[in-house]
Amino acid sequence: MISPELKKVILKQLNLDDFNLNDATLASDVPGWDSLNHINVILAVEENFNVKFRSMELLRLKNIGDLQKLLDSKLSK
Amino acid sequence: MLWNIDLKKIPELLTFIPDDPLFFSTSLFLILFSVFLLFYNLFGKNKTVRIGMLIFFSLYFYYKTTGYYAGILVLLATVNFLCGKWIAGTEKLPLKRIYLVAAVIINVAILGYFKYTNFILEIISNIGSNKFDALDIFLPIGISFYTFKSLSYVFDIYLGYIESTSTFRNFCLYVFFFPNLLAGPIDRASAFIPQIDSELYLSKEDLGKAVLLIIVGLIKKVIIADYIGINFVDRVFDFPLRFTGLENLAAAYGYALQIYCDFSGYTDMAIGIALLLGFKLMDNFNYPFKATSIADFWRRWHISLSKWLLDYLFKPIQMSARRLRVLGNAAALLITFLICGLWHGAGWNYIIWGAFHGAMMSFSLFIKEPRAKLFAVLKIQNTRFLKFFQVLFTFHLVVFSFMIFRTDDFQNIADMLNQIVNFFHGEILFQFVERMPVIFGLMMLGYVFHFLPNKLEEFAQRTVSALPLIGKAILLALVIWIAAQFKSADIQPFIYFKF
Repeated sequence: MISPELKKVILKQLNLDDFNLNDATLASDVPGWDSLNHINVILAVEENFNVKFRSMELLRLKNIGDLQKLLDSKLSK
Repeated sequence: MLWNIDLKKIPELLTFIPDDPLFFSTSLFLILFSVFLLFYNLFGKNKTVRIGMLIFFSLYFYYKTTGYYAGILVLLATVNFLCGKWIAGTEKLPLKRIYLVAAVIINVAILGYFKYTNFILEIISNIGSNKFDALDIFLPIGISFYTFKSLSYVFDIYLGYIESTSTFRNFCLYVFFFPNLLAGPIDRASAFIPQIDSELYLSKEDLGKAVLLIIVGLIKKVIIADYIGINFVDRVFDFPLRFTGLENLAAAYGYALQIYCDFSGYTDMAIGIALLLGFKLMDNFNYPFKATSIADFWRRWHISLSKWLLDYLFKPIQMSARRLRVLGNAAALLITFLICGLWHGAGWNYIIWGAFHGAMMSFSLFIKEPRAKLFAVLKIQNTRFLKFFQVLFTFHLVVFSFMIFRTDDFQNIADMLNQIVNFFHGEILFQFVERMPVIFGLMMLGYVFHFLPNKLEEFAQRTVSALPLIGKAILLALVIWIAAQFKSADIQPFIYFKF
């Protein structure tokens, strides 16, 4: 499940009004989320939730579900 | 006489002949592959036999192409298989990192020794103003492709994308597989290895696609690329001042088409040949001259390499430098494309070519917003008009970049540009067409087919698939015959227009 907060941050960064995001959604499925814009989405998530990811953790992400799990693990610390 | 086989030729078949490597477009390969395919279909139902045949033929193929240096393949396969296994076998991140670094160092050292030693020594001796004597180092063909291919396996395990494969045999087949050994596509283990264990099955559509790819590949490589290269492009690039601007421009377009047809034609054949053996390889080209930007060009040109660079070079740099935001992206692009250039060859022309592409894309990042605003003001966003000019502009940037790619003699490029600007003589177009009808015809054929809608390819695929087996064989034989005519044709008489 993608939390409404994470969804809001992602959609705002990509200037999207609405887009269905679920665990299996890939960045490449979302309009505007290309390899260059990826940097901005990740920074927006880090800044909004006040967390810091490690590069290696980010490289291992396969889909948005993985991003949610990584974020949850940081928030629970 | 059919049975009058020259027995003396048999040892030649089994030994490496340096000046006669075994490429797909040689008649020897076509004969050997036909025989192999026959046996493969007769005995390949058994998985072990099938894998054994493929490994054996692949090693023979590479030995015929590069001699005893084929041993490098075995060495690399062993190193990368073990490193992959060790990375997967430990939970400790520092240990995983040590194995990864070891794999990278060994692969890069082997590639570096064969490909870059002389280039580096030359730079060092130039700095010291010493005389440079090149070392006699043989360059094993395809080494850049298969080191990157086998290294991707280690990276994928490290990044947690795939599990390590348990059998060394399957990994060897992935690394040795002859269709994509010399010039890609740089396939991923995640896509290839699962196919090894699946049943050998070829649908009617796959067979049609394979035949079409081999036909199109032969036409591109032998008929278009080789012919216009020798008979036109080389002559103009060698002596640009002897030609008008129109011919120089045609040669620049010709070279872009030549390099595209040469490379994509070869990988089309690779994908087609692999498909006949029951393996699906990744796409490598997607009408690159239809690109609307340089970034789009790299999503369409040598896709397997650009995806490799994106995943294992660009993304790690980008993620580490993400706090620099757009500057981080720009730096990652520049570094990635400098290395992309260097990967293509040990020469300044390749490095500058890579830097040019990196710089274009970085520049594009900085003007993204003003450009979008300008298009909005002009009300041309998402219009065909805008797309047409974007394609035209990108195409010319790419053509220019290939001029750099081809030569490190910048005076030559300056001469060509100067002729185009100051000595164009557009009126000789008809004379040009009249004197070089085959060159003109082939260039038109190449470009017109490139810019036709993609649906044409689907239609051609359906048509070839629908043909009976004998029809496919006749079609293939016909194209091979035509290609052989072009190959054996004498070099066309050298004609240039005097003014």
